[in-house]
Amino acid sequence: MEAITGWWDDYFFASIVVLKIFMASLLLMVIFGLIGAAAKLSNSIIAKKIANAYTIIFRGTPEILVVLLIYFGSAIALTSLFQLFDPSIKYVDVPPFWAGTFAIALIVGSYATETFRGAFLGVEPGSIEAARALGLSNLQTFVYIRIPEMWRIALPSFGNHMLSLVKDTALISIIGLNELLFVAEQATATTGKPFTMFIVVGLIYLGISTVITLFVMGLEAYGRSHLRAAK
Amino acid sequence: MSFDITLILDSLPKMLSGIGLTFQLLILSGVLGLLLAFVLLLMRLTEKWYFSVPAQVFIYVFRGTPILVQIFIIYYGLPQFEAIRESIFWPILREPFGCAILALTLNTGAYVSEILRGAVLAVDRGLLEAGSALGLSRNQRFIYITSPLAIRLGIPPYSNDVISLLKSTALASTITIFDMMGIARTIVAETYAPYEIFISLAIIYMIFTFFIQKGFGYFENFMSRHVKK
Repeated sequence: MEAITGWWDDYFFASIVVLKIFMASLLLMVIFGLIGAAAKLSNSIIAKKIANAYTIIFRGTPEILVVLLIYFGSAIALTSLFQLFDPSIKYVDVPPFWAGTFAIALIVGSYATETFRGAFLGVEPGSIEAARALGLSNLQTFVYIRIPEMWRIALPSFGNHMLSLVKDTALISIIGLNELLFVAEQATATTGKPFTMFIVVGLIYLGISTVITLFVMGLEAYGRSHLRAAK
Repeated sequence: MSFDITLILDSLPKMLSGIGLTFQLLILSGVLGLLLAFVLLLMRLTEKWYFSVPAQVFIYVFRGTPILVQIFIIYYGLPQFEAIRESIFWPILREPFGCAILALTLNTGAYVSEILRGAVLAVDRGLLEAGSALGLSRNQRFIYITSPLAIRLGIPPYSNDVISLLKSTALASTITIFDMMGIARTIVAETYAPYEIFISLAIIYMIFTFFIQKGFGYFENFMSRHVKK
């Protein structure tokens, strides 16, 4: 374990990068998921078709393929786009951070689409009827009736999606982002202790997953707090 | 930016030549993973803590870390130890293919055992009570009542896991295995045509996903044939 002493700061900053990717992709994932779910629930046939294609494509393709395609593909697309304005540009560099974040958010967003859709359909029809009978407006029904029921239904799957996002961040090292696996490879090259270096990466990921799991468990307990018997 | 059809037609056969390796990875680690999952399930179902706790820790560790990290620990990490290089497993662990199989097996085993456990726990208690009322022993109840019902309940989530496994086999390309993904990455490195190559490969993977889904759909129908009208 002595081999690792000089590398703690690198691991620390790489963990920060992982957390940043996680935060950014979580936000994007929720947006993609909500748009997808709205499209699937809408009356428009075209929107439904597009949303179905989105979920089929991103659930049926290996994650690494999506990451590579978006990274290299967006570089080529942006290069040719910029060349329209300035032909002297040879190559546009896409930051791996954003290409990777976007890619994993798209992948997990396709799963979140189903979760959000299921949560919307899972709202008790009786609750909605009761709200109508009480004279609540559509907006009020949505805010006070639908949302409180929906997040409780979606939470367990949503927790799994968050774990998938964290684990997918490891893929971004493939496109050269300076994150945990990347640090471990550098550290291995200098110290010749691959097992130690990669195990540290595993433990950091395990730690992050544990925190997320505990957080979701806490939220689930909070979501059930109204069901607890009075003391 | 143009879409080069001839390039696709040229590289499709090359990529498809990796199909055998992709299937070997999928089927070998799928079968071994299922066996591992079953052992883990039995370990968790016993009430003995020295069986159930190790199984739980194993599942927790392998579900809580990225599969890519697991592959790297096994492929790059294990040779750090003299003992492993001298053990009888070295011929397997020396090869990237052996390492990929090991990593995928351990990973899918952890996930599938959770699926199996969920399916076993979902079997109606009343049926088990009926079984014990009829004088069936614990093992007989497990074999004749729990298993057939649990298999049926487990098929939909299991098919999702097989699809995940198929997608994970593409990660083997990171440790110099030339499965379809590995070949595609080499072609892209040579031609720098990510759109053509990666999109056609994505379609190939989607076709496999489709067949896996269909196959398990038929299997599920077959297993639920007694509930049909």
